[in-house]
Amino acid sequence: MASLRALTAVFLGAFGAATVATGYTTYTATSGAIVRLVDERVEAVSRVLLSEARPGDAATILQGIDAFARRRDSGDIGFELRDARGRRLGGNVIVGRALPIGTFDLREGDGIAGLTAGRALVRDAGGGLRLVTIAETEPIDGLDAARLRIYLIGFGAMVLIVMVGTGAFGLLVRRRIAEVRATAEAIIDGDMARRVPVDPRGGVFAAQAVAFNRMLDRIAALLESVRNVSSDIAHDLRTPLARLHARLTRLAGQASSAEIADELDEALAQCDELMAMFAAILRIAEVEGERRRAAFAAVDLSAIVTEVAEAMVPIATEGDRRLIVEGGGEVPLRGDGQLLSQAAFNLVENALNHTPPGTTVWIGAARAGTRAILSVRDDGPGIAPADRAAALRRFGRLDASRHQPGHGLGLPLIDAVARLHRGTLTLADGAPGLIATLDLPAS
Amino acid sequence: MDLLLVEDDADYADTLRSELTALDHRVVVAPTGPAALVEVERDRFDAVILDRMLPHLDGASVVRRLRDNGHRLPVLMLSALGQSDQKIDGLESGADDYVVKPTPAAELDARIKALVRARAWTDDGAETLRAGDITISPGQFRAWRDGRPLDLAKLEFKLLTELARHAGSFLTRAMLLERVWGYDFEPATNIVDAQVRMLRRKLTADGADDPIVTKRGIGYMLRG
Repeated sequence: MASLRALTAVFLGAFGAATVATGYTTYTATSGAIVRLVDERVEAVSRVLLSEARPGDAATILQGIDAFARRRDSGDIGFELRDARGRRLGGNVIVGRALPIGTFDLREGDGIAGLTAGRALVRDAGGGLRLVTIAETEPIDGLDAARLRIYLIGFGAMVLIVMVGTGAFGLLVRRRIAEVRATAEAIIDGDMARRVPVDPRGGVFAAQAVAFNRMLDRIAALLESVRNVSSDIAHDLRTPLARLHARLTRLAGQASSAEIADELDEALAQCDELMAMFAAILRIAEVEGERRRAAFAAVDLSAIVTEVAEAMVPIATEGDRRLIVEGGGEVPLRGDGQLLSQAAFNLVENALNHTPPGTTVWIGAARAGTRAILSVRDDGPGIAPADRAAALRRFGRLDASRHQPGHGLGLPLIDAVARLHRGTLTLADGAPGLIATLDLPAS
Repeated sequence: MDLLLVEDDADYADTLRSELTALDHRVVVAPTGPAALVEVERDRFDAVILDRMLPHLDGASVVRRLRDNGHRLPVLMLSALGQSDQKIDGLESGADDYVVKPTPAAELDARIKALVRARAWTDDGAETLRAGDITISPGQFRAWRDGRPLDLAKLEFKLLTELARHAGSFLTRAMLLERVWGYDFEPATNIVDAQVRMLRRKLTADGADDPIVTKRGIGYMLRG
């Protein structure tokens, strides 16, 4: 079935149709039964009346009618006797027209005084005489309204109970599904600690929630061990690197010639680069570990932007590029000031490192509704749309930048910082140049 | 200087001891917290280098015991991981500085010297600082060289103040990043070097000699 709603609609439709069919069948069956009972009585009464007279003996039949009419239980039965030419000979009712032999429905239009609904039986009484026996069904017809009411109340209550039940059931299912969906979305947003609430009274939904939560525990454990592997490797490699660095530093201090000193400086710079790469791996692991979220505090994105710009202006100036701060005014949000500084720093660093001299770089913080936006744009060559995804990948360096310093972990780190703050990092065409935007929830 | 190194990893302690000895320090190694507390009572040290992760009695508790026993000597805490909450925890326990292992011995050397010197002066934040012919008034946010006012940007002023506070000692890039920029990360771009170059240009604008000494692979020092 396509959906829960369609399934419910089909179920309610089928239930309604079955209810209506049952009601209709019961109604017609009881109506038929009443008509049959009246017909049987009319038949019996007229048979008895005729059996007391010889065929064709109109006078005896009329006496029988009189005698019958005087009886206390005969008020609902009427008779009329007509001769072969259709003339009325007598009886206690007047039927407006001559009827052929047979059984008929009577309505108000038949002009019988005091009768609105009834049955008539016309019998041959011998010698061309016709005896019309009629009985009212009116008092019984009055029951129809009551019967209808009973049907409506009875079946209506059933329909109502089923609809309310179906609605409540649907609501329950929908709420459980909403809980699972909310959890899944929180996980996607990076809140790996989120779990589906489990109903303590048990049941299938509780069992499903427990299974779902166990799956999440397993995923979290796997993620944690993957994270630990990368940070353990990075950490263990730092010790020998630190020793190498110390030795190179000592050698550089004792270099016997300027050439050797330069070579050692180059080696030290490469060593620093490696240390920076491991620091970035460890930093990403720290950010993805989410412990820093506990230390979130009120920060002003504008102040962070201004500080980062101040720190980077000397670098920009030395590299013959311009760094301009845009906007102003407080942009408050809850976050980690250090990480946001580092993210802003890396964005400006990227813009300065991957553009030619003469480029202008703008950095700004702004509030847009409920969002705090940090953007860094430049009027440099930009990144082709096809390459932007690669730029966000870990160690994903673009061919054009391979000869430049850097380790390809800058953007993934910014991306991790954005996710920690439940925000996003996007790279877009600045026409010209590139716009990198950190879109974060404002406070 | 006389240093007490509290480290349970024997290999790492050995390496660090030989490196620090090469930098003219006398180093005593204690493998546990209780052993460290005994050493401090028995001998006089200029500073303690303390691993945060120790068996039985962790580094933070060792610092608390030291402070409770009335020892004010500088403590530099070492940690395997640079998680910010651990760092805050370490400093709150009474440690004076906190660095992430593995730290080059030269970095430790610079930090310990800065700590020991910092013990020598009282800092009310507003007193006038002097280093050679440089005078700084942190309260007024102004600085002079040889009586001539210096026109410094905010970061240049903070950098000069920090160097002057530790005049005669080397400050490493990591130390300056923490103290001047307030960053707990080390950017790939060398903003410290760039800022020092800017400051140097302003200090030597009228042909005066360069008061900032650079030591390759270590950092910077303002002549005292």
